[in-house]
Amino acid sequence: MSTSKWTVTFKVFRKKGEEVPHYDEFKLEVDPDEYVLDGVERIWAFHDRSLTYRHACHHSTCGACGMRVNGVEKLTCITPVRDVTHDGGVIRVEPLRNFTLVSDLAVDMGVMYTRMDKVGQRSVNSDAKEAYQSENRPAGPAESGVDFIRLSDCIECGLCISACPITASSPEYLGPAVLAGAHQHGIKGDEQVFRLADCEDGVWRCHSAFECTAVCPSFVDPGERIMDLRKQIIGEQFRRLFSGSNARKINTMEASK
Amino acid sequence: MTEISNQSPVSRAGKWFDPRARSINMIGFILNRITALGLTFYLFLHLIVLHQLAQGPAAYDGFLSMIHNPVFTFFEVLVVTAGFMHALNGIRIALNSFGVGIRYQKMLLVVLMGIAIIVSLVFAVHMFTV
Amino acid sequence: MSKPKIIIIGAGFTGVATAHDLALRGFDVTVVERGDIANGTSGRTHGLLHSGGRYAVSDQESAIECIDENMILRKIVPQVIEPNGGVFIAIDESDLSYAEEFIEGCNACHIPIQELTAKQALAMEPNINPKVIVAFTVPDGTFDPLRLALSFAGTAKKNGARFRTFTDMEQLLIDGQGNVTGVKVWDRARDVHEDLHADLVVNATGAWVGEIAAHAGAHVPINPTPGVMVAFDERIVQRVINRLNKPGDGDIIVPQRRMAVVGTTSFEVTDLDYVPVVEEQVKLMLERGIELAPGIRNTKMRGKYMATRPLIGKGSSGRSIARTFKCYDHKESDNIEGFVTITGGKATTLRAMAEKTADVVCQKLGVQAVCTTKDVPLLSYREYYSLNN
Repeated sequence: MSTSKWTVTFKVFRKKGEEVPHYDEFKLEVDPDEYVLDGVERIWAFHDRSLTYRHACHHSTCGACGMRVNGVEKLTCITPVRDVTHDGGVIRVEPLRNFTLVSDLAVDMGVMYTRMDKVGQRSVNSDAKEAYQSENRPAGPAESGVDFIRLSDCIECGLCISACPITASSPEYLGPAVLAGAHQHGIKGDEQVFRLADCEDGVWRCHSAFECTAVCPSFVDPGERIMDLRKQIIGEQFRRLFSGSNARKINTMEASK
Repeated sequence: MTEISNQSPVSRAGKWFDPRARSINMIGFILNRITALGLTFYLFLHLIVLHQLAQGPAAYDGFLSMIHNPVFTFFEVLVVTAGFMHALNGIRIALNSFGVGIRYQKMLLVVLMGIAIIVSLVFAVHMFTV
Repeated sequence: MSKPKIIIIGAGFTGVATAHDLALRGFDVTVVERGDIANGTSGRTHGLLHSGGRYAVSDQESAIECIDENMILRKIVPQVIEPNGGVFIAIDESDLSYAEEFIEGCNACHIPIQELTAKQALAMEPNINPKVIVAFTVPDGTFDPLRLALSFAGTAKKNGARFRTFTDMEQLLIDGQGNVTGVKVWDRARDVHEDLHADLVVNATGAWVGEIAAHAGAHVPINPTPGVMVAFDERIVQRVINRLNKPGDGDIIVPQRRMAVVGTTSFEVTDLDYVPVVEEQVKLMLERGIELAPGIRNTKMRGKYMATRPLIGKGSSGRSIARTFKCYDHKESDNIEGFVTITGGKATTLRAMAEKTADVVCQKLGVQAVCTTKDVPLLSYREYYSLNN
């Protein structure tokens, strides 16, 4: 099985420090079944050692290699060249949006990680808890009687935050990844997380663009989780209204965000 | 995101409008925003028109004769289209917000926008031939 | 009295674990890494939290290191581990003949195993090869490679260590007597060149230690040995599945999240910075994976890539070299002061490698500080990126 090679031009976003951003072009011979990240790596190894980019696992578990490929957010280690271009075509590689740029293709996702901690997203979860049942998502991998512990679906790659149009104009918005994390953690048992989700920069800021779900490489489906959170919050608020127990605390969450 | 927060709200304000390389979902979102802005603007115009009414029959008649021309009718068709699009999309969003129909939300978007366009065409025909 | 300054070159498993240990012992640590955390060999591991079973017969020193460190990691960093255990399965007569040595070996290395009949094995893992004859459970697990490294790095950062990523080591700073006094670096994010001085430089670059040591005129008997990994897009097995035989190619399936990764092979290479994927090896992984779990045939390939293991010692076949680790004090081997190399080992033994290295550092600099990393729980991996640091 030898596939003939394609000639593809990589247009790579470059920016160091305060300089004006520009694109560098590299013509590469690629195997159409290899991945965009392989091309970027070869550019660094053989053409331009000044290029900075993030990658670690090469098998979609670490979330480090997220970039925009021809304008669309992708996890470059599992995005075959074949999927994004043709022989003689162009692959434009740019960093994720809505994050501070560190250099070239690497961004600083510190804000997302800090918020993930605030909503208590669990990095390992039991299958039963992770496999959230809904009309849109099947159960997790284990259907046997044993409840295994596994790493959660969300790999914190930031693609959803980059794709979200709301985050583009409102960086205070928690963002799809974080709200999905709040959903995974559960808002019913945790008042602090409930408050984070049920505020103007939480689920109510979402305007149903569903770009997050479209780009997620890891079965998280943040769009649906945000909608499910709304359903849960509305139900809970009604319950509180009519049950008389007013759990309204002064919203100190604003200050700690 | 600090780099983004450093930009003024004014320069950030238009950043949501970026349909390049995006899926149909994004088109739906952008359409909803544009129709919302359009309808809000129309609301102000409408209030101004009503103000004309208060000036008495002569001013109002003058205004009516001005708007009885195809250019204005065209804009009125746009308003009707915007109204239907926004309303039907809004129904989809409201359903989604209660967790209903999320699996089909893309299909729902296409179907509802299709209905909005067809209904608007019917209105357009009616408005231009009266 | 100011803290002794250490520069660690390399932020893979060895570098970050050593930074953590040294930071706890009160050193001033700077880690210099040309990419981002774990972007070399460490990030690419399939994530096997080794029980040592694989080495129980051929390399018992490694096996004992593995099982001991396996237990420690489960205690100090559970937040990155899928602790679901593993099985060794015998599919044919050749595998079966290995069983007795395997049992003896595991007992000698205090690796807890349990024998299963074919029926029990299939009940536990319905998707393994139905021809299974006998199986043994082992305390394997899976870890997230980047997040394991970040947990060490984040904890070290919180304790004062500094991480200079996207910073290439260009040269070692050498004084008149040939001793190492620091590193000359190129900060690629800002495109700035700098000299960093230190009381001691630790070479923790894994497969690249030979290249780095050469800058000081030192030699390390390292044999970089790449191998392929192939990821499939279905979690076809819940536990690690090992072939019950002498260590060979493609005899392990490591599940992780919703995937299963099959590995690996062994061959030699000279250019470490980019190792292209060899299609024949990918095909081999598919075949061997199907032997272990036939359902892999119906899954889609999600990713394929090469990772270069740092194997110490001479030898042409990657399989016969010991998988243990070694810390080289270059004063002893090459009469170069201020320079220490740590390499070899397996991902699972990162903490032990760091302990050994930190002990050597303390001894060389005359510092009395005891290792506490066995018992110190690591902070969340998110600490590394936290805005509070």
